[in-house]
Amino acid sequence: MKHNIVDNLFAGASSLVLHVVLFAMFIIGMDLTSTPKPLAQQPQKEIVQATVLDETLVEEEVARLEKLEQEKKNAEKERQQKVQEQLEETQKELARKEQEYQDMEERARIEAEQRAKAAEEEKQRIAELEQQRKQEEEKRLEAEKQRKLEEERKQKVEAERKQAEIEKQKVEAEKKRLEEEKRKAEAERKRLEEEKKKAAEEKKRLEEEKRKAEEAKRKAEAEKKRLEEEKRKAEEAKRKAEEEARRKAAESDLQRQLEQEQQEREARRVKGVVDQYSLMIQQRVKRYWLRPANAQSGLQCTVQVSLLPGGDVKNVKIVKSSGNAVFDRSAETAVYKAAPLPQPSDPKAAAEFRNFQFNFKPE
Amino acid sequence: MFTRWLKVVATLMLFASWPAHALLTIEITGGSEAALPIAVVPFGNEGFAPPEDISSIISNDLKSSGRFAPLKQSELISQPHEGQQVNFADWRLLRSEGLLIGKVSSQDGENYQVQFQLFDVYKSQQLVGKRYNVPASGMRTLAHQIADIVYETLTGEKGVFSTRLAFVTEMKNADGSKRYALQISDADGANPRTVLQSRQPIMSPSWAPDDNRLAYVTFENAKSEIFVQELSTGKRQSVASFRGLNSAPAWSPDGKKLAVTLSKNGNPEIYVLELSSGKLSRVTHNSQAIDTEAVWMPNGREILFTSDRGGRPQIYKVNADGGRAERLTFEGNYNASADISPDGRMMTLVHGVNGKFHIAVQDLETGAVQVLTETRADESPSFAPNGRMILYATEQKGRGVLAAVSVDGRIKQRLGESGSAVREPAWSPFKK
Repeated sequence: MKHNIVDNLFAGASSLVLHVVLFAMFIIGMDLTSTPKPLAQQPQKEIVQATVLDETLVEEEVARLEKLEQEKKNAEKERQQKVQEQLEETQKELARKEQEYQDMEERARIEAEQRAKAAEEEKQRIAELEQQRKQEEEKRLEAEKQRKLEEERKQKVEAERKQAEIEKQKVEAEKKRLEEEKRKAEAERKRLEEEKKKAAEEKKRLEEEKRKAEEAKRKAEAEKKRLEEEKRKAEEAKRKAEEEARRKAAESDLQRQLEQEQQEREARRVKGVVDQYSLMIQQRVKRYWLRPANAQSGLQCTVQVSLLPGGDVKNVKIVKSSGNAVFDRSAETAVYKAAPLPQPSDPKAAAEFRNFQFNFKPE
Repeated sequence: MFTRWLKVVATLMLFASWPAHALLTIEITGGSEAALPIAVVPFGNEGFAPPEDISSIISNDLKSSGRFAPLKQSELISQPHEGQQVNFADWRLLRSEGLLIGKVSSQDGENYQVQFQLFDVYKSQQLVGKRYNVPASGMRTLAHQIADIVYETLTGEKGVFSTRLAFVTEMKNADGSKRYALQISDADGANPRTVLQSRQPIMSPSWAPDDNRLAYVTFENAKSEIFVQELSTGKRQSVASFRGLNSAPAWSPDGKKLAVTLSKNGNPEIYVLELSSGKLSRVTHNSQAIDTEAVWMPNGREILFTSDRGGRPQIYKVNADGGRAERLTFEGNYNASADISPDGRMMTLVHGVNGKFHIAVQDLETGAVQVLTETRADESPSFAPNGRMILYATEQKGRGVLAAVSVDGRIKQRLGESGSAVREPAWSPFKK
């Protein structure tokens, strides 16, 4: 019999525990399996305090976040609201489960009392001992219950905290995402601006290029025009130069012709003087030439004469002998004897008589 | 373009024609053959006075040739005797072309040393200079030799001053009879010596080309006869003594034959006598006329002679071996006594105009005749061996004298001054 009670007790306790565990598992989710032992080992009081502190912190954090978010953007508020509502719902659910739990406990207590009353007669005999043990058991149960409650609460808080953390992380992530989006948007904007700027610059550049091209074209045309003008001018100049050259050539031809005529006149004049003096010299030398009486037969000799200014003979030499020494000598002597030979005062004509020849031959 | 090219060509031609490159040449033709002025400075004396005035003989020789005009002694600026004493400018001032100086010295009055120098005054150059040793008797001959050297140096021809003249003199003896002599003198007529004397006439002396033999005609045997006499030995030989006339001998250029005039067949004709054999060949055949006074052409193949076959004496030419004679003279009605110049180009003859007989020359090529003398009885012309002078005889105061005339007639001179009448001169050839 004893075993029945215990079994019953244990059956009731096990069911409670099972519920709690199920509930915890519901709240904590997957994380429960990862850290059950460290939580169980933590001191109870400190855990409670920590819970309270944590709640405050969360609230503060939330409030701060809310405040921050509210200040910055409304979308975030909405999300926060949702998160809050979710949180409240979760708390409500948690409260309802608590209620359920308390209801169950009430029923268990009633049942136990009933059973105790039923068994009171049986237990009366061992009442005292049993009482003691029962108290202790109760105490232990209570402790256990406390511990379990605490644990559940702690788990719940932890779950909440974790949830909050997740939320916070989500918020953070969202914030980050938003920031990223904003940054991206900014970057995009900047890029777009940059592109726009670049496009503007490109446009400007293109326009500049176009302008430059046009300028170049214009310049090229101007250059072409200028070159054409220059060419035209050069041709004109060339034509003029050629005309000038022709004119000058004609002039110089005329000049040359005049000079030539002048030279010819001068040459004729000098030749006239030379001829005149040649005749005078000839007559004089003839007069002094004592031709050898036996020199009729084709003798002939050429003597070259150098004169000093004034007509004196500087040198006489036979350049072509007659073959007859006496005849040659008669010619040389004739030149010497005829000196001084008449000399023209005109220097050009006189120059002809600086060095000249006589050809001596009998008739 | 074309006209420009033409201008260039014309300019080139102008310059080509202008004597810029070729020397101006003046032709001198003619000139004169006037005597060449020469200064013959009296030779200096050292030791004995020379027997002959050498420079004077030379000067006279040169002057007699007609080719030189020696300055008068009074014109001589200075009297150098050696080359280093000569100042050529002085002599040029005198227009003297040649200058002859020299000196004579002797230790004993028998043998003399003679030296001379001949200078070309205008070229200030000695042309010739020589030194001799001669005996006193050779002095005159030496002077003629020096004159020959000067003459030849300055004229290019051989001088004839050392040659000789042969001529015949006629003298009247105290009893009125005549005496004839064949004489030989220096070329200037001086220094005559007799090689033959005769009471009968001597005629027509003719020099053999060897300058050592004379052929002549004598009448010593009462008839005309041709002799050849050797001058170096005096030996003589009668070579033609035919009946009739034997006259007018003329030596062939090779000295082996004589052309002679013989009338052995009745009429005077020209024969050629070969001396070595005495062989005679008749050249002319004209019985109606006198053919005489033969002279050989230098070629030895032709003979000139005088003939009156045309009525009056004229000169004819015939081959030495006979044949048809060709008349050479047509100017004037008397042309006789021809002689031929050594070069065979000139003939001299006695040219009669209006009864006056002058010496003339005829150019054998052209036939042109030039009368050289103005005297009236000129005869027997004979060329000097250099052909420059013609020796002849003329009359002066009714007496025959020797004279010479240059072939151009410019120079005439009397030769010799003997008291005898001189006839029939003949100029010797050059000394062999």
